[in-house]
Amino acid sequence: MKSYILTRIGLSIPMILIILTIVFFVLRVLPGNPVLAMLGPKAPPSVVKAMEHQMGLDKPILVQYVDYLKNIAKGDFGHSTVTGMPVLKELMQKFPATLELTIFSMAVAVFIGIFYGTIAAYKLGTPIDISARIYSIFVYSFPVFWFGLMLQLIFGVWLHWLPVSGESSPFMTPDPIHTGIYVLDAIINGQWDVLKDSLEHLILPSLTLGIVISSIFVRMVRANVVLTLSQQFVVAARARGVKEKTVLFKHALKNALPPILTIMGLQFALLLGGAVLTEVTFSWPGIGSYLVNRIHSRDFAAIQGTIVFFAIFVAIISILVDVINAWINPRVRY
Amino acid sequence: MRKFLNLAIAFFVLVLLIGGKALAISPKNYIIIGTTDKISSLDPAKGYDYLSCNILQNIMEGLVKYVPGTTKIVPGLAKSWKISKDGLVYTFYLKKGLKFSNGDPINAKVFKFSIDRVIKLKQDPSFLLSDVVKKVEVVNDTEFKIYLKYPFAPFINILAFTVSYPVDPKVYSKDKVYNGIPVASGPYMVKKWVRGQQIELVRNPYYSGKKAKTPIILVKLYRNANTLYIALLNGEIDVAYRTLLPQQFAKIQKNKHFISMVGPSPFIREIVFNVKYKPFNNRKIREAIAYAVDRKQIVKDVFNNQVTPLYTLIPKGMWGHKPVMPHHNIKKAEEILKSLGYSKSNPLKITLWYSPSHYGSTEAALALTIKNQLEKTGLVKCQLKSAEWATYVDYWNKGIMGMFLLGWYPDYFDPDDYMWPFLASSASNGMGSFYSNKKVDELLLKARKVVDKKERAKIYYQVQEIMAKDVPYVPLFQGKQRVVAKPNIKGLLLDPVQIFRYYLLYKK
Repeated sequence: MKSYILTRIGLSIPMILIILTIVFFVLRVLPGNPVLAMLGPKAPPSVVKAMEHQMGLDKPILVQYVDYLKNIAKGDFGHSTVTGMPVLKELMQKFPATLELTIFSMAVAVFIGIFYGTIAAYKLGTPIDISARIYSIFVYSFPVFWFGLMLQLIFGVWLHWLPVSGESSPFMTPDPIHTGIYVLDAIINGQWDVLKDSLEHLILPSLTLGIVISSIFVRMVRANVVLTLSQQFVVAARARGVKEKTVLFKHALKNALPPILTIMGLQFALLLGGAVLTEVTFSWPGIGSYLVNRIHSRDFAAIQGTIVFFAIFVAIISILVDVINAWINPRVRY
Repeated sequence: MRKFLNLAIAFFVLVLLIGGKALAISPKNYIIIGTTDKISSLDPAKGYDYLSCNILQNIMEGLVKYVPGTTKIVPGLAKSWKISKDGLVYTFYLKKGLKFSNGDPINAKVFKFSIDRVIKLKQDPSFLLSDVVKKVEVVNDTEFKIYLKYPFAPFINILAFTVSYPVDPKVYSKDKVYNGIPVASGPYMVKKWVRGQQIELVRNPYYSGKKAKTPIILVKLYRNANTLYIALLNGEIDVAYRTLLPQQFAKIQKNKHFISMVGPSPFIREIVFNVKYKPFNNRKIREAIAYAVDRKQIVKDVFNNQVTPLYTLIPKGMWGHKPVMPHHNIKKAEEILKSLGYSKSNPLKITLWYSPSHYGSTEAALALTIKNQLEKTGLVKCQLKSAEWATYVDYWNKGIMGMFLLGWYPDYFDPDDYMWPFLASSASNGMGSFYSNKKVDELLLKARKVVDKKERAKIYYQVQEIMAKDVPYVPLFQGKQRVVAKPNIKGLLLDPVQIFRYYLLYKK
């Protein structure tokens, strides 16, 4: 087991390195001068030069690249050119909001995926099954920002049921803040009105993202449960007179889960990408909004830092999923 | 697992059902303003975009300020001032006992520090001071003198602009842009600033002027017009200022749950020609394009009549304005192009550049409309290209774009600010035009030195005539300010210098 974990970690390193390299070079190939974006068009050339020097942009690109790798290895993601703050620090401030959104979205996706997928597999070939397949294709093709906008229109503008922007109402933030995840902080503090407010703000964004992601889960769960349902242990269970519900959820679903778990881990990357769009649509103050803000101001350090942060995060999640999988199902290790 | 799920759902429903909103702060005490603008920097030495300046205008005050709703200058932190006969020395007398929001004193030394600092930091707006200020001399705690390099009539207007606001020497470093929470000298101060999301302003207890009417102002930043519009319709913001789409605004005007206002704006838009770039180095081609552009159609089709056509760079309503540019005349445009040898089989091939989001969501439609108007002559083939703002800025500085769309907000309310940055040889490269004309340079410098308004207006008429002949720019239209609010919001004021005053707002 130990050696398996070590191999997995070892394999992630080249992956992260490749991402770091791509990010670094793509950002530099793009047009647009970060110094001018920072200083504005009216800055005198001498100031521009000095700034370039200060940011190390006048060094040969390979030297810049090596410096960049060295710094990241030390946990130094550079300083934002917009605020002058360490990028990692800024990211850590924004991360809880994104984590909150992704966890709730994941919950929505898993919930829909498992129930709809299992039932569709059980009712193979019936209208329910067909509806599940149509649902997955249909929902998968939803652009997140469009779907978000529709939910905002229906539940916000027309029905006035739910808020459409931000993480909380004005002056309804938990106090004190422990984790930065408002729902959690509100529970810790016992501030129930704040908790209610946070949950209300969470519903639409997490539904948006969760429903879009759920399409893949529905398909995956359906396919895997169909497969397990045809296996002999199911026939055996039925022959022994076990209740259908138990057969389906306790026997078939449980055995169909390991590959689904792997997919869920991989979906995390998609989830984070979707989170960027969802955050923008719902003015959610997380890493996605941060990234888009900084792209506009060509904040190299911040853009680089965010992507690297995402990459490392996804790598860690996928290692975790693999390890859990290997633990549940020893066959995976070989 | 099942039990846990049930429990979770029950808990969730319970939380949603019980407990009304026990807001700690009464809604009467705060107003939420939504906007699509961004804040780039709240250091007066650096902030130069609309919202950065507008926030500064609500949390800081300069030596002088505008009377709300007018372009009249009155004392701000200064009690009074004297201008020497030759127009070279400005002596200011400060009010006594002035303090920053952290309790630090505001005195003559602070002003010297602040002005010197702007010039030293050389950020975006620094040229406003560094071009004219020679030195600042402290006489005593409440008196100081500003020496100019040459007499400069609009100087007092510059002192009303954000770049001249005082900063606390104990907090702001002499040689670094400040990124923290600003120290205020105006009606409000910043309590909390979540970058890219929102900024919370509360009353500044040390402010010596009139108290702000509402204790707390929350400015929320939205990504685009759609998200702002939906938040507005859902009642999440009290005021939407800058910038809904024209269609959205037209819809809201008919909605009885909101009040809306339209006011003048000093904002202008124009086509810029890089006069060194082929084929725009040919004056005649620029002229033909100026004839081909139909401003009335642009105003109607793209902006729902929410802007007004503009035929010079100085906006209508400001003294010195003279509509000199040719009106739409497609025949004239065709004549000129034909005389240059262009025909249907051999059209003039050009590229028009625009930046898709910097000027709001209407920009692509604007570019497309202009392209169609030019192609209507049958003698032009116009390609559209776009670049995001940071790239765009880079491109025009490097002279990569020959013809592109740009806009302008004044730094100080004076015709000089609509002429000098565009037409003076020393400044026009900053606009990507690279225009240079000795006669114009002479006239512009002269207009800066003359004090008499009528005399100056005459000079600006002359400059505009030359501009109409040389056509380095095609002014397109002049903006209007639009604001939407809930009906219980009072004190909305759209003033001609486009300072949106949060401190006059209150809830009924």
